[in-house]
Amino acid sequence: MNPRWSICLSLYRYLANAFPHEFRIVYGQDLDRLGEDAVPEAWRRHGLWGLVRLVADIAVRLPIEYLGEIRQDVVYAVRVLARSPGFAAVAVLSLALGIAMCSVILCGSSSVLRPMPGARDPGALVASRKGVSYPYFEHYREQKQVAGGATVLLVSVPFAVAPSGGRNARAERFSGHIVSPEYFSTLGVTPAAGRFFSPETEKSGMAPVVVVTDRFWRSYLNSDPRAVGREVRLNGQAATIVGIAPPDFQGMWPFIPADLFVPVTCGSLLAPELAGDPLHNRDLEMFRMVVRLPHGVSIKAAESAFNAMTLALDRQAPDADRDRNPKSRQMGLMPAGTFGLTTPEQRAFVYSFNFVMWVLILSLVCANLANLLLARGSQRRREIALRLSMGASRARLVRQFLTESVLLSLAGGVAGTVAAYWVAHMMTALPLPSSGPLQADFRPDFRILALTLAVSLVAGIACGLAPALASVRADIGLALKEGGQAGVPPGSGGYRRFSLRNLFVVAQVAASLMLLLVTGFIVTGYGNVTRIDPGFDTHNLDMFSLDPVRDGYSAREAETLFARLPEQLSRARGVRAVALADSAPFGSLLVHTQHGRLSALPRDGDGRPVWCQAFSERIGANYFATLGVPLVSGHEFDIRDQQSDAPPGTATPAVINQSAARALFGGENPIGRLIHQDAASYTVVGVTHDVRSGWLPAIPVPTVFLPLTAGGMARSRTPSATVLVRVAGGTAPLAAVRDAMASLHPDLTIFNVQTMSGNLNQINAFAEWSTTVYFVLGLSALFLASIGLGGVTAYTVAQRRKEIGIRMALGARGRQVQGLVMREGTALVVVGSVCGLAGALALKRAFSAVSEPLAKGFAQPAPHALLLAGAPLLLAGLALLACYFPARRATKIDPVAALREE
Amino acid sequence: MTSMDARKFLPLHANWFHILLSLVGREQHGYGIMQEVQERTNGAVKLWPATLYGSLKRLISGGLIEESEERPATELDDARRRYYKLTRLGKRVLELECQRLEEMVLMAQKKRKQEAC
Repeated sequence: MNPRWSICLSLYRYLANAFPHEFRIVYGQDLDRLGEDAVPEAWRRHGLWGLVRLVADIAVRLPIEYLGEIRQDVVYAVRVLARSPGFAAVAVLSLALGIAMCSVILCGSSSVLRPMPGARDPGALVASRKGVSYPYFEHYREQKQVAGGATVLLVSVPFAVAPSGGRNARAERFSGHIVSPEYFSTLGVTPAAGRFFSPETEKSGMAPVVVVTDRFWRSYLNSDPRAVGREVRLNGQAATIVGIAPPDFQGMWPFIPADLFVPVTCGSLLAPELAGDPLHNRDLEMFRMVVRLPHGVSIKAAESAFNAMTLALDRQAPDADRDRNPKSRQMGLMPAGTFGLTTPEQRAFVYSFNFVMWVLILSLVCANLANLLLARGSQRRREIALRLSMGASRARLVRQFLTESVLLSLAGGVAGTVAAYWVAHMMTALPLPSSGPLQADFRPDFRILALTLAVSLVAGIACGLAPALASVRADIGLALKEGGQAGVPPGSGGYRRFSLRNLFVVAQVAASLMLLLVTGFIVTGYGNVTRIDPGFDTHNLDMFSLDPVRDGYSAREAETLFARLPEQLSRARGVRAVALADSAPFGSLLVHTQHGRLSALPRDGDGRPVWCQAFSERIGANYFATLGVPLVSGHEFDIRDQQSDAPPGTATPAVINQSAARALFGGENPIGRLIHQDAASYTVVGVTHDVRSGWLPAIPVPTVFLPLTAGGMARSRTPSATVLVRVAGGTAPLAAVRDAMASLHPDLTIFNVQTMSGNLNQINAFAEWSTTVYFVLGLSALFLASIGLGGVTAYTVAQRRKEIGIRMALGARGRQVQGLVMREGTALVVVGSVCGLAGALALKRAFSAVSEPLAKGFAQPAPHALLLAGAPLLLAGLALLACYFPARRATKIDPVAALREE
Repeated sequence: MTSMDARKFLPLHANWFHILLSLVGREQHGYGIMQEVQERTNGAVKLWPATLYGSLKRLISGGLIEESEERPATELDDARRRYYKLTRLGKRVLELECQRLEEMVLMAQKKRKQEAC
């Protein structure tokens, strides 16, 4: 034979043999024979080109035939799934639920960890953990080997903005950053219009300038094309707009977005925060430093370089002999190029918590899917045996099962993705509990979504393949004879042996219970403590804030205003009582930094002082009377305490709450006793009831109330006050306050005007919403577990039709059969519940160890005891209900029909 | 079988047209079809084996041809080969395709005449 023919024929035969099995059965021989005939003829008629075309033809047809079969498989799979809509719907629904939950939980809680938009290579940005002084920063930024760029900033600085020229125009409050001139170059942002700051253009004493965001330009400046060069009044001072930031840039850490950027050189007249000459005062460590690390430089290396510089600067200082704790002078850096600023500890917690939740949900979904598919695969043993006996290849059958699994997983994936985006959209639209602007981005992270989808897809495929592989290996004759019972060793009931399926059921119950309990702990514990229960009548109580210095008042004018305002307001129509405070009630509880250390000496003056951590709030006269909180003993501050500071040599009066009194004085009367905070001493003049006011603390925390004096406020770097107004019943909310302020001080901008009920609702809204999310998560876990258990029990009953038939034929009663099925289901539920309970307690302990807020939330004993008992019972109840229906169906089996069928 | 059933196959794939044409009036096996098409078209259309059997499979699943149980005379029969014949639907589809092609040829001729005038 011509060697070319022989090569061509070998290739042809090889490719012909690779054709799909079913094609080969029908046309295989003809194809081989025709090839043998065609080779010599192709050579004779067309030469080498003919042989090439012959091989090319079969090579092209091969994938076409396989594609045709895949198409058939898909059509068949759709038909099969359409014939069992219940199974398909449950599988798709559980996948969709799982994917949506995973995506939302992970993306929602890690939204602040996303890269900051608008900045170049945000991963290279690091921030100082503590404040730094400007003179030190000027040396740090020169460390070019570790600082590719460096800037300092003050964030969330309020500015009263008014149009230029109109002195009487009402100002609006915007949030901004006070930044060093290197701010934009360090972040790698280029202006959309105009220019940004630079050390050459921004120098002390020069006319104030401001850069605005795209959002400010659109909303406040109405997209004015000539905005650059225009003047606006900031805190009463004229400032020229020199640049507009690009649309996606809203400042460093845009979780709290900025609208304005003002250089540190603008002076304290424009920005009261800069009072005290912080540009030259090395003790004012008030700036956050942001550094861009050059490529290849680690955080540790940068910290070492800055620490060495700090030590050198400390030594050079005129007060070098001052006792400086070397530890407290250590410069700590942390990654900063994120949406919100978080410490590495917070970051580690968010990641680990998310990961555990993700694993729990995903394992639940996978176990569920595995149970459903395994049960279904076993039910189809007879169908598989029939198709094998009709000539279908084993590979084709495996492919068929694979197609069904992939279709299910894809449908679940698509539904899950849609659900995830929908939930994310709903969450993003939710107002966040803050008086200032906050923005959160809950959009699903593509990587997390893709990973969840991939894991679900692999789980679906693996679980779909397992029964197919088992079935195609089974004995066809036996399968046809025994149907669903094939492969089950004689005498072994569905639950009675340690099988993969039983393991899945136990895993499913355990994962569901863990998820249910962890979410339950969060809902009952964390949810309860985040909810503020003020303990006083919040109706007819209005509040607003004032910031007179930003409205152009001098310190003297501000002092006079604060001294007179309560009396002026209380004369207004509809107003019953007025009080001042440095912040809104409960506002200080939202931050952790208000903790101070209080101490008191024992009555006899001997012995060691007793101390406790306490919140500190500054309040004016009649504060408690205005709120409606009665005093336990003593009296509250009166107008004299508010109008002037305590004379030199006398202790300032203070009011403490019951918790502080207990902690410092035990059962003794605290009135008239001295307490100390830092270097200051106070005399206790009153004790107030504990207001159950935990944002995060689970129990009322010791609180000390100090007098808010007019002079003290005016001396403050950022003097502002919140005014609480109790109005007469029937008065329209806020109307009396607005009218009174408009007539008394029309030049003042009042902001955060709201009722106390509105303020509380706002604080509670997010807590309520997040607990609802966890509640829904727990419910979904229950739902998924019920689906899986129901599916498995139904499968077991179906598999044991013959056995049940025989039992009933031998005289077993329906109740006995039902009991048998239920007993076996109960055993698995009990084992799963014990594992789940142990796992949940271990998780609770682990989370408490790494997160203080969760530890406080989890420390609620009563609801948790109820939960620990209730959740397993609820789950077991649902699981048994899921077992009950198939068990009841088992009693309806006709023994004769079951025996004949099998 | 309605005319609508047949029309859904139109326009007929060229390979399918040649296979159906080869089966008009007699049963044929695969090799015979291949040979006849080649001779009828003077080698312009060559049905290679894999294309031929792929098309035969689809024509059978479409109901246009079927396997013939009748065999030719013993001296002409090749027992190892499978024979195919046209179904009623196949004949109808071929008829409609021929009509379609004739109409197209007529249209082309008409146009050519118009241009010539």
